[in-house]
Amino acid sequence: MSDPAINAITCPACGGTVEMRAAGYSVTIVCQYCSSVLDVANPDVRIIERYQEAARALAIPLGTRGTLRDVEWEAIGYLGRSEGGYYPWEEYLLFNPYHGYRWLTTDGRGWSFGTMLTATPDYVSHGVLSVNGETYDAFFRGDAQVDYVLGEFYWRVAAGEQVQTADYVRPGTMLSFEGNESERNWTLNELLSPKEIRAFGVDPPRPWPGSGRPPLPHQPSPYGANLKSFLKLGLITFAALIFIIILFGRKGEPQAFTMALTPGREAISQSFGPIMLPRPRQAVTISAEAPGIDNLWVDIDYALVDRKTQASYEAYGLVEHYSGRDSDGAWSEGSRDKTTKLAVVPAGTYDLVVDASASRWSGSGSSSSYATDGWSGSEPSVSLDIRIAPGGFFLSNFWLALIVVIVPIGFLLWRHASFETARRNESDFAASDSDDDEDDE
Amino acid sequence: MLSVNCPNCGAEVVFRSPALPVKVCDYCRTAVTRIDDGVRAAGEMAVLPFDVSPIRIGTRGRFDGQGFDVIGRVRWGWSDGAWNEWLLLFADGRDAWLGEAMGQFMLLFEKPLEGSLARVVSRLAKGGDATIGDKAMIDGIDYQVADIKDAVCIACEGELPFTAPAGWKVKSVDFRSNTGACASFQHDGTEASLYTGRYVTLAELHPQDLRALDGWTIPSFAA
Amino acid sequence: MSKGSFLYGLWCCGVVALFLMSAFSGYSPFADGGRATRAGFYAGGPNHK
Repeated sequence: MSDPAINAITCPACGGTVEMRAAGYSVTIVCQYCSSVLDVANPDVRIIERYQEAARALAIPLGTRGTLRDVEWEAIGYLGRSEGGYYPWEEYLLFNPYHGYRWLTTDGRGWSFGTMLTATPDYVSHGVLSVNGETYDAFFRGDAQVDYVLGEFYWRVAAGEQVQTADYVRPGTMLSFEGNESERNWTLNELLSPKEIRAFGVDPPRPWPGSGRPPLPHQPSPYGANLKSFLKLGLITFAALIFIIILFGRKGEPQAFTMALTPGREAISQSFGPIMLPRPRQAVTISAEAPGIDNLWVDIDYALVDRKTQASYEAYGLVEHYSGRDSDGAWSEGSRDKTTKLAVVPAGTYDLVVDASASRWSGSGSSSSYATDGWSGSEPSVSLDIRIAPGGFFLSNFWLALIVVIVPIGFLLWRHASFETARRNESDFAASDSDDDEDDE
Repeated sequence: MLSVNCPNCGAEVVFRSPALPVKVCDYCRTAVTRIDDGVRAAGEMAVLPFDVSPIRIGTRGRFDGQGFDVIGRVRWGWSDGAWNEWLLLFADGRDAWLGEAMGQFMLLFEKPLEGSLARVVSRLAKGGDATIGDKAMIDGIDYQVADIKDAVCIACEGELPFTAPAGWKVKSVDFRSNTGACASFQHDGTEASLYTGRYVTLAELHPQDLRALDGWTIPSFAA
Repeated sequence: MSKGSFLYGLWCCGVVALFLMSAFSGYSPFADGGRATRAGFYAGGPNHK
């Protein structure tokens, strides 16, 4: 056996039959035919305000049913609201006799599903409240008014009615306060996905940035979730790179040779070997050091020559060191040692051919520590120590890999930040430039 | 359980709780009141207006592990609306009220007005006033006054702890907290009473035998 | 996991694979030498003004 769910009343203003869908709860009905406001709190229906105008066509006609979050709801009331005529938004009152009331709210940028709270939020700190252990940040404060009413409501609603409002947000949810001297209500508005709102036959609005309007205050960043997994993947990749360096970055046993060079003389060519390269392909690390040199540079040409094939792998090295004194005091620059790396050298037995020459810097002006004119005497020879080892690790490869890994994260971070800036700019509590934005509108 | 015949129409009237003195006859709406040597008629009660409440007399449920039956109802009205208070009889003989307003439910047990009372409560008990936002500590829980109404009894049905004649005026003050705990204070000019409990959803009460309504599916939690 | 994260995962796998290959064969685009041509004459001297 089932009881009727609809109570039909006759509008005393126009005589039309108005269906009351929440009998026993509803207090006010706005007639769908003549827009007159009726008091239905008592069995004798009274006219509060008489009108004779056609009802507005609604995106969700009253009486429409839809299933949201596993519960079927019927739209029974509609409010057109605004902040003193600005920032208009719409609210639909939803009803299910077994689940009570809910709200469907939109300002054209998205739809939210509102549930009135039975517990007051906890105060966390200035501008921060918490509900069910989740925190909400202050976003907006104002006065809301009712501009247009249609359908039935569980309170005495009238166009022009004003309440104070405050909105607190976290991604995906808005906590809204409405209050006056006799009532204080808190509502949790969950942002609905475009798919969910189709349940009420509504075409979802285009989301930011396609909408051309700022994001909703409680719109989660579309990049937020990706950003987290990107960071995770980036860290895993970083660990993998480090692991590879540890595994393959080791050098073999070095061999050391020494050459003696006289500055200003012709280049000396010397061959050292044999040098065994065991792996099919490898880097070769050659380091040169000229201890104690000053105001000298040493050009070094290396050629690693395969004894069997005569294939030559070549590189250039330079050690130099200069010093002096000028009006700022003593200075020095350059490095007395230099590491040179050869890439992809095949396995084999090699000779290292070194062509090296040392040159003295002739200096400039009186700041030089050497008198340059007429210098031709016998210079002391310079010793050049050369160490060669198979293997070695290119730090530059690592930096390149790291940049390539980080660039997408940086791009996403930038997108996320520009979304968050666009979102926060709408807030009363935004930092710095929010006031300018308001003046522009 | 006590079964008597209605002094007015002769129909069978069953008192399920020995603690409740009044039962409204299901047939002629006469308030049948228990007296020392039987029962007497205490006037005819008003007809309940139509509503779409999902609860009805006979609905069963569970709260904090205890089974209950809905055995009575009082409907209250105020200048801007109306609400139901359903009387629950628990298996252990206790009774409680399930307040139903604006589609939300409060389950409340009566708490004797004795011992040290919160300032607002003792002021109200003396016939004084309260304002929205007034704080009150009851049983270690911080409450705030959320709602103050002058209510009038519209109608009643079933078993009740008192006769609830239509037109009976009561001042009703609701308290809320940040945990979902709630309290309600009522004063009819001569007697004051305090009820404490918490907000519940219908699903939490594991209800059975809910009222079926045309065009609506009874939720799975009640099937 | 979203499409974006999946693509980024592939991207990272590619980077790791290339890095592994280069580490294995001692390759670097920034190497000082290999089968390269000989550098020209260097005119030394400090950059100090």
